[in-house]
Amino acid sequence: MILTTTDDVPGRTIVETFGLVRGSAVRSAHFGRDVMAKLKNLVGGELSEYTKLLAEAREQALDRMTEEARARGADAVVGVRFASSEVDTGAAEVLAYGTAVRME
Amino acid sequence: MSEREPSRDELLAMAYVDGELDEAGRAELEQRLAASPELRREVSALRELELMARAAAPREPMDHEWQALARDPVQRSTLGLGWSLLVLGGLGVVAFGLWQLFRSDAPLVLRLCVAAVSLGFGLLFGAVLRGRLRTRHLDPYRKVER
Repeated sequence: MILTTTDDVPGRTIVETFGLVRGSAVRSAHFGRDVMAKLKNLVGGELSEYTKLLAEAREQALDRMTEEARARGADAVVGVRFASSEVDTGAAEVLAYGTAVRME
Repeated sequence: MSEREPSRDELLAMAYVDGELDEAGRAELEQRLAASPELRREVSALRELELMARAAAPREPMDHEWQALARDPVQRSTLGLGWSLLVLGGLGVVAFGLWQLFRSDAPLVLRLCVAAVSLGFGLLFGAVLRGRLRTRHLDPYRKVER
């Protein structure tokens, strides 16, 4: 499955479009990670607990989008975009979306 | 490295994770997934592997320092002691507060309500924790680092 942020894939022709596909994931860190992140706020530096949290949500959202594209018979998703929002403190929501297509 | 040939189920699980099964094959495997915990674990382990390969990030100079810190006895004992004191102290404060309330002259209704809230919270937390423990080993994303 090709995933690309561009609207086409160089050297390939889109022969069928299946429309919008998307995947979202909302994940939270457990209490222990939240406590450590709050303490790190006092001294600065990377909050690796939340870096990990966002990365988990990003990969899960991508997988869900890819799964939807695959179920529709697509072999690529073009114009992939990410969006995020905050539904709860200490939680990460990531939405991945794009256009599912079939290549020649 | 094992020399063992992959079983038919393992090959099917690989094809499923890689999206190589046709519609009928996917439907059949998904039916079997619903009934077989071993197959669920196999698919989850393969997804985890694929995810690790995809999310593999280049090492950064800071990573070595974090790893060294994680092995450092002072750091380990500081964290262990800190968490132990925090958890034991927190539980102690809650237990003491409840004990004081039940020994006080507070109305019986209030004491019953606090007991119900405490028990309800404990039961809900137990249910959430049980759910997490039941699904944790099937969650391939928990090992993604960045």
